[in-house]
Amino acid sequence: MARCTKATSLLAAAGICSIACLIGVGALSVPLPPDTTYRPLPTRPLSAVKADDEAQKPQVMARQSDLLNQRYDLTNRPIPGVMMSAAKKPVQGGVRVKLPAGVTWDSLAAMSPEEIRQRGLLPAGFLPLPHVKQATGGQVFPDRQIDEVRRQEDRDLRRFDVNFDLPDHLTPEFPPPIFLTTQPHLGDVSRGQLLTIKNFYELMNGIITPVQMEGLRLLLTPFPQEEFNQTEDRKVAGQSMGVTCLDCHSNFHTNGAFHLTPDVRPQAARFRLDSTSLRGMFNQQIHGSKRSLRSIEDFTEFEQRTAYFNGDHVSATRKGVHLPDRPNQVAMMAQMQNIIDFPPAPKLDPFGRLDHAKASEQELAGERVFCGKGRCSECHMPQTSFLDNNMHDLKLERFYQFGRTVNDFVTLPDGPIKTFTLRGIKDSPPYLHDGRLLTLADTVEFFNLVLGTKLTQQEKEALVAYMLTL
Amino acid sequence: MRALIIVAAMALAMPAAAQLGNPGFVTPGTPQSAPGVPAPNHANTQDRLFARLLATGGAAEVDFGRLAGSKAQSEAVKEFASRMVQDHTKANGELASLANAAQIPLPGEMDPDQKDMRAKLESATGALFDLTYMQGQVIDHQKTVILLQLEIGQGQDAPMQQWASATLPVVLNHLEMAKTLLAELAAQTPQAASAPVGTVPQGAPLAAPVPRERPVQKK
Repeated sequence: MARCTKATSLLAAAGICSIACLIGVGALSVPLPPDTTYRPLPTRPLSAVKADDEAQKPQVMARQSDLLNQRYDLTNRPIPGVMMSAAKKPVQGGVRVKLPAGVTWDSLAAMSPEEIRQRGLLPAGFLPLPHVKQATGGQVFPDRQIDEVRRQEDRDLRRFDVNFDLPDHLTPEFPPPIFLTTQPHLGDVSRGQLLTIKNFYELMNGIITPVQMEGLRLLLTPFPQEEFNQTEDRKVAGQSMGVTCLDCHSNFHTNGAFHLTPDVRPQAARFRLDSTSLRGMFNQQIHGSKRSLRSIEDFTEFEQRTAYFNGDHVSATRKGVHLPDRPNQVAMMAQMQNIIDFPPAPKLDPFGRLDHAKASEQELAGERVFCGKGRCSECHMPQTSFLDNNMHDLKLERFYQFGRTVNDFVTLPDGPIKTFTLRGIKDSPPYLHDGRLLTLADTVEFFNLVLGTKLTQQEKEALVAYMLTL
Repeated sequence: MRALIIVAAMALAMPAAAQLGNPGFVTPGTPQSAPGVPAPNHANTQDRLFARLLATGGAAEVDFGRLAGSKAQSEAVKEFASRMVQDHTKANGELASLANAAQIPLPGEMDPDQKDMRAKLESATGALFDLTYMQGQVIDHQKTVILLQLEIGQGQDAPMQQWASATLPVVLNHLEMAKTLLAELAAQTPQAASAPVGTVPQGAPLAAPVPRERPVQKK
């Protein structure tokens, strides 16, 4: 290992030196075009763009619907008796990723990654999931969020170029419950409502501090965003006040809204991002699937140029960026986010392990698989909120030929991605950073293949039963 | 590799599926085959820039590949160079016909970076030539991968975008081959071989040698 590291270092040193000698002044004379990194300026009047986008929208949605139906079984098949934490929506069951013809999950798991790649047998549902419209990208909200924000605030979150693409039954319950670390005895404090700038004071007065209240107000205040703003470069009909942090992270959880990663260029290679839950951020040491931001304050401050403006501070400046003041506004927003708890998990002990007196045999068997043969706990460590505060590269590209273009999206290796918590995981479909897996059973088949764990059907079912207790 | 080329050829033979682009960035006045879909062969700025940059890059690939075919020391480098001549000759022809259909004039000479590389390759010999050629190949293919993605995402000429999509996996494969070969060469080549051409005599140390072992700190 030491020898290997040394050789790698020497190689890297030689490489850097060599490339430095090659680049020099001459190479700077022919840089790549600016549009590979920067957003171009719009070229046409908004009325013409809107007319074209609206005319194209049925084709855009039909193309995405075809892709989803080719990859997944999208039917409404809940697990009997299993509801999300507020009991508003059942948890969907079964493996939804479709298998290629001629293979089973077991026969696939018996093959090497090379064989799967060469024979083109990786189920398409395991590939990165394209945004509904890659060339434009941007935030896309589910109908429930759009309707409720319009009802409460008369603010328009509906885009004229695209709609949300997943069926409602495959997304989180809405509005999600809110649990506070500071008020564990109260339980869900949402009163069944979606937190907005209109109702937050009434809902939270007497529960949170003045500092937290001000942080919450800022998290619910709309600010300009790439597709929702007042310029001609927008995808909402009217001149928009913008979006709020909690428009995606509804009630500090997620409503399944998606956008494109801010961290990759060119546009064709930016992968889809499913909004992550903000529950349990107090125990999370890194934030952002790619950015590895080291504090909740950094996350809060930087999202104004990343989630809102795709990591493009130039575009942000043109459309009206909000730069929260670090010692005051950011600190208050962070303090509010830091008191959002996970939903209750009555079968877990204080160290995140199952209480044998409360768990079923199948759940206990699932925990053994999770911490043993399944290798789940090597990253999702029970004692640290099922996190390891690291990023990992699963190297899925071992299983498929990357570089192909699907719906204008170039599938390239994902590289290292942050470990997400599994606490309250039944509330957070779809799964993986881009939402490519629709059910927990899908995640089991995915990791069984990627990690080569060769689980039996019984072990897979136990693992799903266990994850439902978290 | 051959399979990938066949895939690329098949894609060219198929009718071009139009990208569903952002109409906000379409060049004003572009004829449309459907609302929001530019008619084929009506290029925008990105198509034009892409075609011109890729054409000079492709021509340089063939030129450098031929040079490497005669000058390279390593058989593996010669084999790689031969593949580059073969693949890029084919790709250059395809691109030229697409550019012709879209009325994009292509440049006839290398850009300054490529001229600079040509001069470096002419003056290098032996292992230094191999290393310089392969280093250039890695950088050129990295750039090409980015340019192809630019065209796929931000071009508007559907046939050219289709070609870029079909070509990208082939170029990524070239890049993978070049990285692997460069790593093998770098592991075999004395440090001085990577010195700036003409500034350090072959065999002279470029920098202080890296100590084999980290000195033990005594307390």
